[in-house]
Amino acid sequence: MVEQIIKKSQFEERGTLFETGAPVTCSVSIDKVIAVGFGDGSLRLYKPDAEPVVVHAHNGVILSIAANESHIITGGQDGLFLKISLNGEIEEIYNFGTQWVDNVAAYEDMFLCSSGKNVYIWSGDNNKPKLLEHQSTIGGIAIDQNGRRIAVSCYGGVTLWRYEKNKWKSSKFAWKGSHSKVGFSPDGKYIVTTMQENELHAWRIRDKASFAMSGYPSKVKSFTWAGDNPYLVTAGAREAICWPFDGKEGPRGRTPLCIASGGQENATYVETLPGEKAIFAGFKNGMVLLSELSENPNDVLIQSPTGSEISNISISPDRSHILVGDIKGKVLWSPLWEQ
Amino acid sequence: MENNSTQVPVTVLTGFLGAGKTTLLNRILTEQHGRKYAVIVNEFGEQGIDNDLVVDADEEVFEMNNGCICCTVRGDLIRILGGLMKRADQLDAIIVETTGLADPAPVAQTFFVDQDVADRTKLDAIVTVADAVHLSSQLGEHHEAEEQIAFADVVLLNKIDLVDQNQIKGVHDRIRKINPYTKIIETNRCEAPLDEVLGLNAFSLDRVLEVEPDFLDSDHDHEHDDDVTSISFVSDTPLIMEKFESWFGNLLQTHGQNILRSKGIMDFKGENDRYVFQGVHMLMDASPMGPWPSKAKRNSRVVFIGRNLDSMNLKEGFESCKSE
Repeated sequence: MVEQIIKKSQFEERGTLFETGAPVTCSVSIDKVIAVGFGDGSLRLYKPDAEPVVVHAHNGVILSIAANESHIITGGQDGLFLKISLNGEIEEIYNFGTQWVDNVAAYEDMFLCSSGKNVYIWSGDNNKPKLLEHQSTIGGIAIDQNGRRIAVSCYGGVTLWRYEKNKWKSSKFAWKGSHSKVGFSPDGKYIVTTMQENELHAWRIRDKASFAMSGYPSKVKSFTWAGDNPYLVTAGAREAICWPFDGKEGPRGRTPLCIASGGQENATYVETLPGEKAIFAGFKNGMVLLSELSENPNDVLIQSPTGSEISNISISPDRSHILVGDIKGKVLWSPLWEQ
Repeated sequence: MENNSTQVPVTVLTGFLGAGKTTLLNRILTEQHGRKYAVIVNEFGEQGIDNDLVVDADEEVFEMNNGCICCTVRGDLIRILGGLMKRADQLDAIIVETTGLADPAPVAQTFFVDQDVADRTKLDAIVTVADAVHLSSQLGEHHEAEEQIAFADVVLLNKIDLVDQNQIKGVHDRIRKINPYTKIIETNRCEAPLDEVLGLNAFSLDRVLEVEPDFLDSDHDHEHDDDVTSISFVSDTPLIMEKFESWFGNLLQTHGQNILRSKGIMDFKGENDRYVFQGVHMLMDASPMGPWPSKAKRNSRVVFIGRNLDSMNLKEGFESCKSE
């Protein structure tokens, strides 16, 4: 075999590489910490100028993670829905037994999770969760920017729940097919889902006008929002495909920006650089690029190809550090700026 | 479905309620075999299994928006297999139990359609547990029972000590009429060696090459239209590839719903390689499998298992692909 000499990026040179041995499954940024969930049930808390703290949270894969201002919440294949402090103290919110806790979300003192076809909401001091039922297994959940609406995706579309007069009221946004991840646009006007097919679907909430964003060579596993327009930045293709959501009609009839074009394989994870018109794209071969939201973007190499699919990219809340994780358990933790 | 050692094999376990699936699952989970198996069970299925490697599923079948009318897949399976692949430890195999009344096709089709599933896992075999006492009457009453036999790579004919020799022969004949290629293992309490049930690689194209030709002279009786039957053809004359592709593609498009499984080894005129295919309804996996072995007889063999096969002019279609 010919030994390939792969040049390290400046981020790999000044950062630290951790071999954790378990797939990186999810992450959330909170305070100065990036909390990362792993396939062996452990949670690691990465902070600048400190060794990562390992928390033995679940007995099985951590499937989903979220946070409010003070706590991390996690859902796992062990059926546990946990609340974890930044010191690593674990409190069990609920035990679903043999049922996986597939999705979690948090907003102030409201904690949500989905298990099977149901969404459970804990809020305030009430120990008994509110139950929202759905017709099929839930693919994803999202809370809007004000904590008043919850979007739940499953087979056949999205159910939008609004909190009005002390009740959760539902409204259906239908589109045939299986919907997984779901999110609100930053202005709260659109709902977007990833689908089992190689495409995304979006609805304008006001009139339920819906449209597909298709043409991807593989499944879209990740999306994020970036820039002021804003752009919906998506994985699933050789480049990061960015759909403009400004104007009345959003991306309909318009061509997307294609940036981060240095990858030889499809992008599997995308993340925005908060406050900048720039995004990170991670690829199936382990490469990570930083790219500008422009017609002729400059790309910066964050991580050279490693051979393992990127499963997570996270930026610390103060933008000082980047964390890159892959499906083999490698974690790159690096200062984002020269010191 | 590429051959990749990192793909975890998945065995689909079908069979009617009470046939003995749970007995087999309990054996897989409790015997000292030194391997790590995860089992995906149906929440409405038989009870009595408690193990942290057991995952509840809900048999969510949905249609793909890909224009293929019979292309249904198991959405829950895509989600659960994806989840299991995030485990830090490597599983040796995964077993998917389906309910007694389930059609095995959506499970099998999931492995053809979903790229993530195909990247990380591979369909190993469809194993059907059948109750020797009740199978004959179940076959007469339920489409699903016929389909489970038709799809099976292995039939575990269970509770064999409760029937006499004549009845056993009768059940064998019924199974063979639907599916002449399945391996029948007679057992009591599903006591078959696990290596005859798991790790069979039955869906690899290599295995198609082992299709025995001796069934080929069997007469094809006219059956009741709705019965599942099989039919096969051999040609010593090489076939024309373009003609075959055109006929076969059209056949799957128009009759794919009634063709449950198809397999074949093709000798194409002007080609040194053997071409091998295997399909589930409209979905097909095909590839050249290297040159013909020097001592092997070059001929083309195709096999169909399905309903209403008489209406498809299969013989005429196959004959029309010949080069002479």
